[in-house]
Amino acid sequence: MSATTHDDGPVLTGEPIAPTTLGGKAVAGSAAWMDDRISGSNFVRRSLNKVFPDHWSFMLGEVALYSFVILLLTGTYLTFFYDASTREVIYAGSYLPMKGITMSQAYASSLDISFDVRGGLLMRQIHHWAALLFMASIVVHLFRVFFTGAFRKPREINWVIGVLLMILGIVEGFAGYSLPDDLLSGTGLRIAYSIMLSIPVVGTWVAFLVFGGEYPGDAIIERLYAIHILLVPGIILGLITAHLMLVWYNKHTQFAGPGRTEDNVIGSRLFPAYAAKAGGFFFLVFGVLAALGGFAQINPIWNYGPYDPSQVSAGSQPDWYVGWLDGSSRLMPNYEIRELGHTIPLNILLPAVVMPGILFTLMIVYPWLESRFTGDKGYHNILDRPRDVPVRTAVGVMSITFYVVLLLSGGNDIIAHVFRVSVNHTTYAGRIGLFVLPPLAYVLTKRVCYALQRSDEELLHHGIESGTIRRLPSGEFIEETVPMPVPQRLALRGVESDRPMLQGPTAHGVEGHATGPGHGDLHMVETAPAKVRGFFFEKKASGSTAAPRPESSTPELETSGRPSQPE
Amino acid sequence: MSTPLPPEGGTPETPGQTSTGGQQPTSEPRGGETSASAAGSIRERLRNPGPQSSGGDTRGSHLTGDDFVNTDTSAALEDSGRGMGQLSQDSPPEGVEIDQPRGNDLDPAAARASERKVSALFLLSVLAVVAFLGVYWFAPFQFGVENGNTYFTPMLGLTMAVALFGIGAGAVVWAKELMVDEEAVQMRAPFGSPPEERKATALALQQGFRDSGLPRRTLLRNSVLLGGGALAALPVPLLFGLGPYAHKERALERTAWKKGVRLIRQNGTPVKLGDLPIGAVESVFPDVPRGTKAADSTALLIRMRPEALIPVKGREDWSVDGHIVYSSVCTHLGCPVKLYEQQTHNLLGPCHQSTFNAADGAQVKFGPAARPLPQLAISVDPEGYFVAQGDFHEPIGPSYWERHQS
Repeated sequence: MSATTHDDGPVLTGEPIAPTTLGGKAVAGSAAWMDDRISGSNFVRRSLNKVFPDHWSFMLGEVALYSFVILLLTGTYLTFFYDASTREVIYAGSYLPMKGITMSQAYASSLDISFDVRGGLLMRQIHHWAALLFMASIVVHLFRVFFTGAFRKPREINWVIGVLLMILGIVEGFAGYSLPDDLLSGTGLRIAYSIMLSIPVVGTWVAFLVFGGEYPGDAIIERLYAIHILLVPGIILGLITAHLMLVWYNKHTQFAGPGRTEDNVIGSRLFPAYAAKAGGFFFLVFGVLAALGGFAQINPIWNYGPYDPSQVSAGSQPDWYVGWLDGSSRLMPNYEIRELGHTIPLNILLPAVVMPGILFTLMIVYPWLESRFTGDKGYHNILDRPRDVPVRTAVGVMSITFYVVLLLSGGNDIIAHVFRVSVNHTTYAGRIGLFVLPPLAYVLTKRVCYALQRSDEELLHHGIESGTIRRLPSGEFIEETVPMPVPQRLALRGVESDRPMLQGPTAHGVEGHATGPGHGDLHMVETAPAKVRGFFFEKKASGSTAAPRPESSTPELETSGRPSQPE
Repeated sequence: MSTPLPPEGGTPETPGQTSTGGQQPTSEPRGGETSASAAGSIRERLRNPGPQSSGGDTRGSHLTGDDFVNTDTSAALEDSGRGMGQLSQDSPPEGVEIDQPRGNDLDPAAARASERKVSALFLLSVLAVVAFLGVYWFAPFQFGVENGNTYFTPMLGLTMAVALFGIGAGAVVWAKELMVDEEAVQMRAPFGSPPEERKATALALQQGFRDSGLPRRTLLRNSVLLGGGALAALPVPLLFGLGPYAHKERALERTAWKKGVRLIRQNGTPVKLGDLPIGAVESVFPDVPRGTKAADSTALLIRMRPEALIPVKGREDWSVDGHIVYSSVCTHLGCPVKLYEQQTHNLLGPCHQSTFNAADGAQVKFGPAARPLPQLAISVDPEGYFVAQGDFHEPIGPSYWERHQS
């Protein structure tokens, strides 16, 4: 391919082939028609030439995006049959066990979707599975962004948008879960109402205004429907658009590797390879969800029966992304403040309102917290390997441990049943585990990170063990090592060489350590806490990682400008 | 800021000032290219002798400095910038191969095989679509009925999955095996605008603010603020229109139980003394219109041996011969508490495992609930049916701010 370097992407030399077929002429004609009106040629060409770095973990966000598209498609289909009404009807559909039972129109129409609409059950199950996958991929994508430090400057805004998307996803999922008005979802709504009631001073106002009166009222299903199909998806759609535009605008981060610097992106261009891969990936995700929707039964509402406030089924569980809040409500001891004629139910307020509030706030401000602790205000386009930032990694694993204890506690009755232990003991275990396990995870993770760093050091400076032992003429035995291949070496060390290096000898003696600038003498791990405010390691000011980029490092400034000649 | 400016607004200190912003909004009739042309003119106005400022507004003006190099060789990579500087320091550049030719690029036979593979996947998708249509239109679809089809949804899902998967897998294999395998290098645009740009924008904002007259016309400023603030009050009544909140505390305190109201089962039949054997429980509702639907009035009638019952002080006559009634709305988060253990007299909430002792005034034995379940005082009417002595003595269900101490 002949290409010349140009700031707007390669301007290919030569003339485009004049279209001869009817289809080709139609394409060329409509392209010209559009360009006459919106002058999009330059934008389109730059977009086609946009370079995306390749790594499997960059697909996690794509999964979330595709799940959302699938949710919109299947959800729209479901709205054609669903009737969000609490009006009481007598079921007359084809599911025999429910015949003649009084139920809400919402539940009856949900049963109709499952039994009397051709393909309706498939659509409903794909929709539910896509919702679970949407939340799961958001969470895993968040892990990726967190552990690789992709949230750092200049991408803090996108981090905040991402956390907001996750919170909205929880709200959206809960609203959708409540719509069928079956026994399980009604129980969830009652819990949500009780949580609203628990808020001091304004709790009863909030609960009465949201539910249109005392629980259950007859308004909540209609309101949740409007929230579920219009309000929240609209906001999510807007935020996703902003999220993608920022990714586009800031360009994607990349892992360290040959030729990769803070100032470039190495990968494949959008058109055709990346577009084909990403487009194909959408259909793969959709295919997996279709298979799940066809084969894996989910939320069989006909087994639960219509909602009845006087009934509940044992082992009632919310969808997984709400489970951690259920778990925190189970673990909380029964504290309640009753003073001066008022009641503050700490047993609800702390686990269901205050704790998630604090956690989400911490999550949103994390990029600024870390920047404050490390003093790192620089731009970062090269991703960290988790082991290279032990404190962040340890904080992340600690948080995940906290979350997992809560999530498991949300199913502690199931655990107690399956493993034949007392449910009370699982609660006590959760209460203790919630405070003991996270710090333990923190310490362990940090140790593991150090060990992995050390093994990297071995590989870098000592080389790969070849298994060959050579005997010197003097009689001395030495082992032979093979130097690491350069691409792997660069991937390990990164081009910026800003990782704190370990002091002291390696397992193979001091010969493994290179000396000189950038090789350990200026780095510290053991002495870091004493020298750095906070407990994060100070980044060594090397390359453009920590230092503000000098003007001279932006050569493209000198050549940019609108192309003078039309293409 | 306090100095009033002439409306012409030329600030003497910056030549760039006069031509930025909306000074001549009507003088740009060119449609379609406004942002680019406006930005271009900013650049012209900003142009200092130095070359740096000419690269100013690179991103806002669609003139992105996307340096783009196609690197077929490591030599091209070397040209592309500083990445190689780092490489050559650490290692010989010949060790770097970032673009390895694929077998398919060299071997036409392998490429043809790949093409056949991709085509086969696409054709598989076509077959699956046909199968999907066949299943959808011709297969019996209802299950759980006579002549029903348990396999309709799985078959539909399978054909749909194969149809989608064929297209997806085909596209991915196509991209991976047949499209140009490139490692393209693109330079990033610098983050942050040049200082001149920021300065000009700040000046334009400041001058626009001054030109609006807000800083000196205090009456205007205050009335604008007042007007905007008053608008915020518009949605408030609409918000409060969402629900009947009058007497909400009373609604929370009261249930449908009244003096003399019979205890009925879910099917509407009243419960008579002697209907329940010892150790049995029954969900009971007030015998009022829609009593079985009243979410706050559901209760649990338990019969235990009279000597097992420890009456709470002052409630000695609230139960009848070992029959005792508690609200079944949990005082934690409102789930129905209905699981009763005969031997221990434990009442268990299935949602968050709060456990109450039914024999001892429903005191909390375990779990997150903070208060005992409210007890309903009952007696027996002349016909032998259970009736309530009145409403619950305290608000049922979860706690809330206005709930009085009890």
